[in-house]
Amino acid sequence: MKSHLQAWLPRIVLAPSFLLILLFVYGFIAYTGYLSFSDSRMLPSYGLVGFANYERLFGLRHWKTALNNLWVFGLLYIGVCTVLGLFLAILLDQKIRGEGFIRPIYLYPMALSFIVTGTAWKWFLDPGIGLESIMHNWGWTSFDFDWIKNRNYAIYTVVIAAVWQSSGFVMAMFLAGLRGVDSEIIKAAQIDGAQSWRIYWRVIIPMMRPVFLSSFVVLAHLAIKAYDLVIALTGGGPGRATELPSTFMYSYTFTRNQMGVGASAAIIMLIMIFSIIVPYIYSELRSEKRS
Amino acid sequence: MSQSNSSNPTAANRRVWLRALLYAVLLVFVVYYLLPLYVMLVNSFKPLEEIRGGNMLALPHIWTFEPWKAAWSSAQIGVQPTGLKPYFINSIMMVVPAVTLSTLLGAVNGYVLTKWQFPGHGLVFAMILLACFIPFQIVLIPMARVLGILGLAGSTPGLVLVHLVYGLGFTTLFFRNYYAAFPTELVRAAQMDGANFFQVFWRILLPSSGPIIVVTVIWQFTNIWNDFLFGASFADFDSIPMTVALNNLVNSSTGVKEYNVHFAGAVLAALPTLIVYVVSGRYFVRGLMAGAVKG
Amino acid sequence: MASLKLQNIRKQYNKLEVLKGIDIEIEDGGFLVLVGPSGCGKSTLLNCIAGLEDISSGDIMIGEKSVVDLHPSQRDIAMVFQSYALYPNMNVEQNIAFGMEMRGIAKPEREAAIARVAETLQITELLKRKPSQLSGGQRQRVAMGRALVRDPQVFLFDEPLSNLDAKLRVDMRTEIKKLHQTMGTTIVYVTHDQIEALTLATKIAVLKFGELQQFGTPKQIYDQPNNLFVAEFMGSPSMNLMRARIIEAEGTLTAHVATGQGATLVLPLHGFEALNAHKGTEVILGLRPEAITDEASASGQDQSKVLLQSCQINVVEPAGSDTFVTTSLGGKEVIARLGADAVVSAGESMPLAFNMAKAVFFDPSSEQRIA
Repeated sequence: MKSHLQAWLPRIVLAPSFLLILLFVYGFIAYTGYLSFSDSRMLPSYGLVGFANYERLFGLRHWKTALNNLWVFGLLYIGVCTVLGLFLAILLDQKIRGEGFIRPIYLYPMALSFIVTGTAWKWFLDPGIGLESIMHNWGWTSFDFDWIKNRNYAIYTVVIAAVWQSSGFVMAMFLAGLRGVDSEIIKAAQIDGAQSWRIYWRVIIPMMRPVFLSSFVVLAHLAIKAYDLVIALTGGGPGRATELPSTFMYSYTFTRNQMGVGASAAIIMLIMIFSIIVPYIYSELRSEKRS
Repeated sequence: MSQSNSSNPTAANRRVWLRALLYAVLLVFVVYYLLPLYVMLVNSFKPLEEIRGGNMLALPHIWTFEPWKAAWSSAQIGVQPTGLKPYFINSIMMVVPAVTLSTLLGAVNGYVLTKWQFPGHGLVFAMILLACFIPFQIVLIPMARVLGILGLAGSTPGLVLVHLVYGLGFTTLFFRNYYAAFPTELVRAAQMDGANFFQVFWRILLPSSGPIIVVTVIWQFTNIWNDFLFGASFADFDSIPMTVALNNLVNSSTGVKEYNVHFAGAVLAALPTLIVYVVSGRYFVRGLMAGAVKG
Repeated sequence: MASLKLQNIRKQYNKLEVLKGIDIEIEDGGFLVLVGPSGCGKSTLLNCIAGLEDISSGDIMIGEKSVVDLHPSQRDIAMVFQSYALYPNMNVEQNIAFGMEMRGIAKPEREAAIARVAETLQITELLKRKPSQLSGGQRQRVAMGRALVRDPQVFLFDEPLSNLDAKLRVDMRTEIKKLHQTMGTTIVYVTHDQIEALTLATKIAVLKFGELQQFGTPKQIYDQPNNLFVAEFMGSPSMNLMRARIIEAEGTLTAHVATGQGATLVLPLHGFEALNAHKGTEVILGLRPEAITDEASASGQDQSKVLLQSCQINVVEPAGSDTFVTTSLGGKEVIARLGADAVVSAGESMPLAFNMAKAVFFDPSSEQRIA
């Protein structure tokens, strides 16, 4: 007889991982979801208050700032990374001598911690010792670059540092995509008499659709999760000018003792990410099944 | 086509110029990406006065290792003048078991999900995959409580557990995608040869898994070493990892800002992942791509 | 060695029935070929015999013993896979030894068995190589070696030649046949290639959509196909099928077939009593290309059943040993197989000899053979 143990073994082996994820991911999401409807403040508390936390959350000026910042940051971060990444990938695809030397340099920031990136840019952009002082040193005394200290512009310094960190990765994805294009298609376009920039614009870039999609998904989820970089670069400041939902959630939950509001902020973040990720995963697994 | 080009001097000229422009643009970006690393390195070897009074981009007039020594063993971090050394060790103690366990479990999960499929395996995989993308803010509150209940609050084993759980999604994804392309006929042949569940894994799949093990280990190592949020939320002195310590060092509000020490500390915190990247960049990139679900 | 008996095998995936009650019995030492188009269930059936997939109902007997509840490794079978399934991390010797190692056979015994099999298959000098260092034909041999070393009751082959180039495929086919003749072990062999089926088998089972269409010797399958599907699937070029009307004229049955020129070909039917029931109706007449030939090639056939008739030739395709020509009959292009030296060019007419001794008839609606 085939033993029952053998038949169940695969499931038994998978079970610990699945249970861990079930509890620590989905169970915790449910728990946080519950807290977002509760009157928790410094410690979890289980009295239900309906949507009161969400109403308070969306009434808070800081939350509006955070959402606004996420919008500005996310849009610029994704946009600039994509354009820059594609641009650099196309440049590198021109049979460049020394590509093996250039490519790793474009990509290495991805290996760094956001805390390191934040520290480096924090001092480099600091008007007292960084870029502004360098320019003054070189004699351009009217040069003025104090964005990191400026409420209205600080969020753009987060974009600068984040783009520095991630654009090389997007470049690598596009480069892999470009290298995967069938060379016969390019030959056919050349025979049709197309100029090289037109071949890129009309033939190759449209074929990069899947790369655009996956890089969008990766960047969007990184943008919504971005936390370390803000902490290291600006600490959320000046004032609350670079607050993002992630930093907002943390400070409301752990330093302001508004756990209910913090939980509802976390739930909003989850909804934002899942509304991008779930359709993507669904379509990926679908197309995998078909092929 | 190339012949008509070379016989036409203006077109040939234009091509040379375009080529030069191309290299110039690429070089500008090389400078852009290297600049922060350069700034960190150069200034970590300067005395403090030279940074304050001088130019950040200039090479040191006086080379000094003092900032490095200070960052490693004597800088004020939080309330204690310990330097980053104990935290570096904390990070190692956390990363090694977390990477090992999550890779091992991921390998077995990938094996089951591709070669021993059962009704509902698709849903199980989708749920594991989705776990990769949750914003970790959503698990902070319950995690703190669970660690407390397990008696792991503020400890390195607690952090290992956290990183193990939230790394499982990616390790499972990597191995699943790798094993999906592994011929099922080999598994069947081994079954007919009398190999059982574990023998098939151990003797047939694992020996061919070298590349994906490297990718997974690098990915997990980089992510866990670079983590800040979990370290900041769940660690105390005996378990605080490098990233949190660095942030404490840089943002401690007391005293003068020792930029040179900060830079030395930042390079120290970046060093392990940078070394991994330099040694095995090819696998690192592959991991990033696989992390983009398919890439 | 043992006989193999499949009794009413059914298999379902959810609602989808992929094997619909298969009954096959092959004698000890027989060579059974399962053939059919892709998706017909032949590979599923083989996997069920191997125990790699479970059956929903029915029974599988090897010798006198039911093996349905046994693990693949306990069924005393060996299998050669389509992709050869050689373990990439082991060398040839380790590949062949793996099964014995799993069964706990001692090392000296293993080495003796490997040496014996390596010699049979002439792969002794390859034993230390990794699969990646072998050519397609060598991998094929090693895969067979891995099966041979088990000395099983039944060999299973899953499309073993489909990854080889045309020339090597013919060579290996001969070699498998030789191997079967010397060892005499029962073999079950899956292929979609009907020529492989006809050359290798002692019994052929033709499958389509999980149903057994016909089970018989290669000659039965070729000469008396059960239905239109088997008739068209087996043989290359495939059997000519043309519409014909059965008409009784002056006491003899004839089949009337319309030619391309608006004339009618009248074929006398001797010994087709079953067609009496179809008088006046339209049926489908099946004639293999070699049953329509030139006068010289037809000289060896039973002349009482051969009819000569002039037909207009549309296309001529010389193929070395034969010349194939096409003509229009019964509204279809019909292929005739002439001698290599036949002199004819497209557009001409020439007399073709129809050998009615080889004719078969099918009912157009049920598609079953009626005579």
